[in-house]
Amino acid sequence: MDTTIWLTLANAAVWIGLGAYIAFLGLRQHALSERLAQWERLQNKHDKDD
Amino acid sequence: MPAPNAFWNRKTTPLFPFALFGGLSFACCQYLIYCYAPTEAVMGLMQKIFYLHLPLAWWALFSFFVVFLGSVLCLFKRAPRADSLCAAAAEVGVLLSGLALLTGMVWARKSWGVWWTWDPRLTTTLIMWFVYAGYLVLRGLDLPEGRKTRMCAVVGVVAFLDVPLVFISARIWRSIHPAVFTSKEGGLEPEMKLTVMACLLCFGFLWAAVVWLRKRQIDSLAALDRLARTGATAFDATKE
Repeated sequence: MDTTIWLTLANAAVWIGLGAYIAFLGLRQHALSERLAQWERLQNKHDKDD
Repeated sequence: MPAPNAFWNRKTTPLFPFALFGGLSFACCQYLIYCYAPTEAVMGLMQKIFYLHLPLAWWALFSFFVVFLGSVLCLFKRAPRADSLCAAAAEVGVLLSGLALLTGMVWARKSWGVWWTWDPRLTTTLIMWFVYAGYLVLRGLDLPEGRKTRMCAVVGVVAFLDVPLVFISARIWRSIHPAVFTSKEGGLEPEMKLTVMACLLCFGFLWAAVVWLRKRQIDSLAALDRLARTGATAFDATKE
């Protein structure tokens, strides 16, 4: 195989790996925000009931 | 509804410059790698992998050093914040060492003709990767909080035994893996040295941003869990 293909392969591995981890962090952040919003809604409902 | 300036709040601000400088310096590094640094005489373009491989490996080793320090703090100072730092650094370390192994394998296939060889440097790195992957599995187990923190701290300290071995393996044993910064002959051209230093710095920015963000996520998740537990207890008490 041509040298350029090996170089592209190594670069692709690095950028896909880093990109996937950053996407994972993004998804976790989204889930965290959803949970926080749900908690706030529950808290507001609880305050109204009181 | 978040405040308009929430993006700049106290907790986000330290993350922002790291992410910004990380992104900008990555662009500069691409220029340095492909336009500034000379092409190596024997390996040709293939040598350019080195500028990614070395920072990945070094920052992975640094991550595991942070796990070690955090684990010591957890054990002796009972610092709960250090536990989340260990979790974040271990995750990033496993990712970076995995990518260093992958780029190393591509390098090996081209220059040595094989994807893998049981060389001391490669073997100790693979063992290190498995040990810290196991550490992450341990962190994912559903155990009582205090017990899990102590167990992870002990594993975090013991696992570090392999890290210095990875670093010195190419120097003390007969290894086909080059030890670039100690070679008496050959070594790196000044332009190559500058490029690799710049790459180390830009990966450093990325490392700091990602570890900071992940640590904050873990801390927030733990705080929400605690809140949910105390909320549920209070709710049960009102029912009784």
